[in-house]
Amino acid sequence: MNFDFHCIFKRFRPVLVSVFVAVFCTSICRQVDAKDIDALLEIVAQAGPQGANSSAARAASEELAQHGIKILPQLLIAMDVPNIVAANWYRTVYEQIISRELQKSQPNFPVALLQQITRDSSRQGRTRRLVVRLVEELTPGYHRSILPTLLDDPEFRTEAVDFVLGRGDKALENGDTQSAKVEFQAALQHARDAGQVTGAADRLQSLGIEIDIVKRMGFVTRWYLVGPFDAPGKSGFDRSFSPEQSVDLAASYVGVDGSEIEWNLFATQDRLGQVNLVQAIAPATEAVGYAYAELDLPQEQEVQLRCGADDNLSVWLNGEKILARRQWLNGSRLDRFAAPATFQKGRNRVLVKICQGPQHQNPAVANHWSMQVRFCDETGAGVNFESALPQLSE
Amino acid sequence: MTRPGAVKSDVHRLVLFTLINRFKTVNTKIHRLIVIIATLSMSVAAQAENWPGWRGPNRNAVSTESDLPIQWSPDEGVRWSARLPGAGVSSPVIWDDQIFLTSSDGFKQDNLHIICLARQDGKEIWHQRLWGTSPTRFHATKSGMASPTPATDGKHVYAFFGTGDLFCFELDGQLAWHRSLASEYGRFENRFSATSSPLLHEDMVLVQCDHYGDSYVVALDKTTGADRWKVDRPDAWLSWSSPRIVPVGDRGVGELLLCGSRKIDALDPKTGTKLWTVGGMQHECIPTPVFGHGLIYAVSGPGGKTISIRPGGRGDVSETHIAWESSRGAPFVPSALLVGDFYYLIDDAGIATCLDAQDGSQVWRRRFPGKYTASPIATGEHLYFCNEDGETIVVRANRKKHERVARNRLGEPIFASPAVSQGNLFIRTSSQLFCIGPGETAP
Repeated sequence: MNFDFHCIFKRFRPVLVSVFVAVFCTSICRQVDAKDIDALLEIVAQAGPQGANSSAARAASEELAQHGIKILPQLLIAMDVPNIVAANWYRTVYEQIISRELQKSQPNFPVALLQQITRDSSRQGRTRRLVVRLVEELTPGYHRSILPTLLDDPEFRTEAVDFVLGRGDKALENGDTQSAKVEFQAALQHARDAGQVTGAADRLQSLGIEIDIVKRMGFVTRWYLVGPFDAPGKSGFDRSFSPEQSVDLAASYVGVDGSEIEWNLFATQDRLGQVNLVQAIAPATEAVGYAYAELDLPQEQEVQLRCGADDNLSVWLNGEKILARRQWLNGSRLDRFAAPATFQKGRNRVLVKICQGPQHQNPAVANHWSMQVRFCDETGAGVNFESALPQLSE
Repeated sequence: MTRPGAVKSDVHRLVLFTLINRFKTVNTKIHRLIVIIATLSMSVAAQAENWPGWRGPNRNAVSTESDLPIQWSPDEGVRWSARLPGAGVSSPVIWDDQIFLTSSDGFKQDNLHIICLARQDGKEIWHQRLWGTSPTRFHATKSGMASPTPATDGKHVYAFFGTGDLFCFELDGQLAWHRSLASEYGRFENRFSATSSPLLHEDMVLVQCDHYGDSYVVALDKTTGADRWKVDRPDAWLSWSSPRIVPVGDRGVGELLLCGSRKIDALDPKTGTKLWTVGGMQHECIPTPVFGHGLIYAVSGPGGKTISIRPGGRGDVSETHIAWESSRGAPFVPSALLVGDFYYLIDDAGIATCLDAQDGSQVWRRRFPGKYTASPIATGEHLYFCNEDGETIVVRANRKKHERVARNRLGEPIFASPAVSQGNLFIRTSSQLFCIGPGETAP
C-alpha cells in the first residue's frame, strides 16, 4: 500500500491542529491551575497568631474549595503544618471537597496516596487521623488492620499497644499462654503510657515474668533527702536555702521550729517512683525539702525530665536550673511537667526542691507532700542510668 | 436577622434604663412616654427571645418569655429531637431560626464540631469540623473539649473550646477567624477541660482563661480576632467560671466580673484595668454570678458561700461593699438563679435552697431527686432544674413556699444547661438536643 502522507496531513490538518491546540491549552491550563492552587495554598499558610491574614485566608479557602478532588494531594501536603490556624483553614477546604466527592455515585479518591499518608509518621498526627477516618469510611476495618504496624508510631502508639494487649488477653482466654506472652512482651516493649506499661507488666508477672517498671520508665528512686526548712505561707518557692548554694551531704541545717535537720538516704519502693515526703521526712506545711541524686551515664545524652510534685518543685541538673513551676495545692501527677535536659558522660547531679504550702482550708484535706521524677527519651522510654548513691543496706 | 422586638442583651436594657433616667429629670411627660415605649418593647420581647449565649440574653438564665412548656416526656410534648456527635456539655445557643451547638470527639477529643440546626425541625444547616490545639484532661463521663457555650450577636458565632481555641463564624457557617490561644499563650492545664464561656461586649469577645498554668483574661476584637487587651492573672489558678458584665449606677458603665481563686475581681471591660476585689470565694470557682436589685450574687462551693456585693467600688471592698453573705446551699458546679425577690441554688447533690434576695435569709429548702451538673434556668413563672438522670424538675417561681409543678423524664443524662427561645425549651442530653413545646412536630 502506498500512503500519501502529505495528502492525508493536508486533509486532516484542521483536525490535527485542533487536537494540538487542545492538548497544548490543556497542558498550559493545568500548569496555570497548579500554579494558582499553590499560590492560594500559600496565602492560607500565612494565617496565624492574632487572627492575622484571616481575610486573605478566607478568600483563598473559598476559592480552593471550588476545586474538586484533584487538588487533594496538594491540599494534604499543605495541611501538614504545625501552624494549627492555617491547618484549620485548609481543613475547611478539605471537608467541602471530601463531602462533595462522597456524595458522588462513584467517588474517585486517591486511596493509595491516602493510605500512604496514614502510615507516614513524619506527618502531623492530626492530618493522619483525619485521613484514617476517611479511609476507614471508604474501607471499613482499615484502622484496625494497620494498628499492629504502628506500635512505634508517635501518633498511634497507644491504640496499637491496646490492640496488642487485647490480642494477648484473647490468647490467654483461649489457653494459649505462649502467644499471650509474646503479645504482652510486644506491648510492654512499645508502651509509653504508664497505665499500659503497668498493665503489660502485671499480665507478664501473672505468667511468671518479672518486669522492672522503674528502670523501664527511668524513675529516680534513690535520693538523699533533707527538710523541712521553714517557709511561711508560700515563700518557699522564692527563698533559697543552703542546698541550693552547694550540696554538702555531711552538713546539718536549721529546720522548722529550730530543729536540726540533715541529709538522709531514702529509696522509694513505689513502682512508679513516687517519693512520699510526709513519710520520708515529716508531715509539714509551709515548708521546703530537698532531694539529691547522682546518676551515672555511659555517654552524653539529650533527654527529657518528666516530673510532678505536691505542691511544687524546681529541678537542677549539674547546677543548672532546668525546671521551676510555681503552683500550689497541686496533686503530684505523673509526667505533669516536662523539660529538656542534657546528661553529661559520667556522673550527673540532680537536685530537686519541693515546696509545701499552707494547709488546705479544709483540715480534712490531707497533706500529700511528695514528688516523682524520671528521665526518658522523647517518646517516654526510660533512660538507662545507674544511681551512684549507696544502697540503703550499705 | 433580628426578630422584631427581640431584646438582644443587657446593653439594650441598659440603654433603655439610662434613657429613662436621663429624661426623668427633664420632663415628666416625656419620661412617662419613654417608660411606656420601653415597657411595650419589653413586653413584645417577652413573646419571642433569642438565647445568644451562656445563661441567655442577660447571663442570668431568666427568660422574659412566658407560657413555656412545663410537662413533657420522650413521647409527649417533644417537638423534635436531633442526634449530636461526640461529647459536649455546652448549651445550645439560639438566634432567630438557627441553633448553634458545639461538641468534640476523636481519640484525644481534639476533633471539634460546630453545628447549626434549624430551630423549626432540628435539621442540620451546616456543620464545621476543625482541630483543637491542645486537648486537656476532661471529666471521663461528662465532658470533652466542648464545655464552654458559644455566643452570638446575630452576625457571628463565637465558639470557644477546652483545647484553647476560639473560632468566629458567619451565621452561614463560613469561618471568619481562628485564635489558638493555647499556641500563643501556652497550653491550658485543666483536669476537667476549660468551661468558661466567652462573653460578647460591645465590639469585643472576652475570654477568661484560668488554669493550672499561666492564667489570664483576654479581650479580642470581634471582627479581626486580634487582642484588644490581655491581663495576666498570676494569683489565679484553675477555675471554670464564666465572665459577666454588670451595669453600675445609671451611667451605663459596666464592670467585668471574674470569679476564681478565692476572690471576685472586677475589671474595666474597655481596658482590663482592675477596679475592685472581694475575697471569700472558694479556690476553684465554677458558677457564674447573677445580677439584680443593683447587687451581684456570686457563689462558689462546695462548703463555700454566696456573697452579695454592691458594684462600683475600688480596691479591696471586702469590708465595704458586701450586702450579705450566706453559706447555705452553695453548689460546686451549677450556677444560681435570681427571679424577682428570690435567689435560688441547687447544689450538686440535689439540695435546693431559696434565699431572700434582699438579705440572704432562707425561704425554703428541699431535696430534689438526682445529681446536678446543669445550671437551672427560669421564666418569670417557673424554674427548671435538670438532673443527671435526665429529669427536669419544674418549680413555681416567685413563691414563698416550694411548689413543684412537674417532674419530666427524657431518659438520657443531662449535663448541659437548657435554653429558651420563642416558646420552646431546648434541652441537650448526652447524645441529643430536644426541642420541647409548641410548634409543628418534625416527622
